Amino acid sequence: MRMIKVSTTAAALGLAAAFCAGQTRKETRMEIAPGGTVNIINNGGSVNLKPGSGNQVVVEYTTHSDKVEVDQTSTADRRRIEIRTHVLPEQKPAAEESKIDYEITIPVGVSVSVTTATAPITVEGLSGEISLSSDTGQVTVSNVKRSHVHVRGVAAPVSMSNVTLGHVDIAANGGSVQLANVTGPKVSVATTSGNIAYQGDCSGVGSYLMTTHSGSIELTLPQTASVDLTARSVSGVVENDFPLQKKTHTSFVPKTGSSFAGTSNSGSSSVELQSFSGRIRVKKQ
Amino acid sequence: MNCQEFQEVLPYIIERGGSVKEEEHLRTCPACAELVQELKYIAQQAKLLLPMYDPNPRVWSGIEHALHREGLLQEGRMSRQGHEMTYFPTQAKSWTPLGWAMALASLLAFTVVLVNYHSHLPAAQVAAQNSTTQAAPFDGDDQRLILQVSKQEPAVRRAYEDSLREANAYIEDAQQAVSRDPDDEAANEQLLQAYQQKETLYEMAVARSLP
Repeated sequence: MRMIKVSTTAAALGLAAAFCAGQTRKETRMEIAPGGTVNIINNGGSVNLKPGSGNQVVVEYTTHSDKVEVDQTSTADRRRIEIRTHVLPEQKPAAEESKIDYEITIPVGVSVSVTTATAPITVEGLSGEISLSSDTGQVTVSNVKRSHVHVRGVAAPVSMSNVTLGHVDIAANGGSVQLANVTGPKVSVATTSGNIAYQGDCSGVGSYLMTTHSGSIELTLPQTASVDLTARSVSGVVENDFPLQKKTHTSFVPKTGSSFAGTSNSGSSSVELQSFSGRIRVKKQ
Repeated sequence: MNCQEFQEVLPYIIERGGSVKEEEHLRTCPACAELVQELKYIAQQAKLLLPMYDPNPRVWSGIEHALHREGLLQEGRMSRQGHEMTYFPTQAKSWTPLGWAMALASLLAFTVVLVNYHSHLPAAQVAAQNSTTQAAPFDGDDQRLILQVSKQEPAVRRAYEDSLREANAYIEDAQQAVSRDPDDEAANEQLLQAYQQKETLYEMAVARSLP
């Protein structure tokens, strides 16, 4: 695929302004085709994504030294844009010097993929497919509707709120996961040692699966929640303070203290909580 | 100066203070600054062991044998209670119990510093250094993964090491549970999840290595 190199300096609408020694702020605008994808790769600093109108991706960024630069490329058909932080040859920037802070405006329906090492990622109000990956940077997603949201982390804490009617898939390893009002046809969360906290009604006639090795799982449901719930731990403690009707048929034999199953209201969403040794607790909001 | 270069000269920095370049790196790198602070604290704490540490006589004996074996101590040079001693007039006070205690405390401090220093090196480098003395903490693939991410910041490298260790523990726990009861559906699902967590780590590390 032919790539058009967009010169950062040529495309810069304003050179900016040095806020203080070593900091430079720039802004570029790039056209993107409807339904296109923006890939962002930035190790340190931050990446903030917000929604915009029109067909332009607006990239505002602040560098903290002249040892790094931003490469921005676009395919000829404008269906894919790549924004990548890049260390200049012969330079060995310190961690602080290699950081770049991005504020990127994404048009409606455009998908994004963000990869960082330590940089936190914040996504607000986007509508395309969202794929976020960070080693240790906090991942925050809010006000997203009808999207596929994939998050991967090594030790990155993940926080989501008001993500509705979505396909949410989180693999967080050691990072903790906090979900508030996250609903959809499919919500899946997996950690090794990270704690999982879910607050919401698990609506959407969906499938909710939360698994962990040694982290805890805490599910807080309103009394109106319509769920078919199972909770199982191989060697951890399982507690339930939420009023459930016992199921007559289950695929396993419930064992007091380590598993239970039950339904609430019409049981329209399936909720499965699984741990190896982590504590599972279901409580009423 | 990057973190790796800084950590290579770390023992000298702890002992004598750093050069202008090293001090500059220390000011700008929170990870290395934290490491130096930890090492200084450990060295200080090790000194406090001196007045209260009274090792078992077998420890003295072990040290004596080791020194003889290495040719660092001549026969009869040791001055442990109950042993025949040969005195050298000019050095008669060199191996007093206090001297030994100080030497042992220094050895302990050095060992603690070295262990801690190693924990901040790339795992593959540590594994290579320790290959003849102790088992590697990770298998070959895991070590390659850690080597791959070792170019990242120390905090990132540690995050991968910790997560790999946790994923391996997850797999081991789940495997044991499955072998205890192969029909245990929950344990089987946990084993699958454990492998998927490890797979995620590998995918992320591979993504990091792409140009």
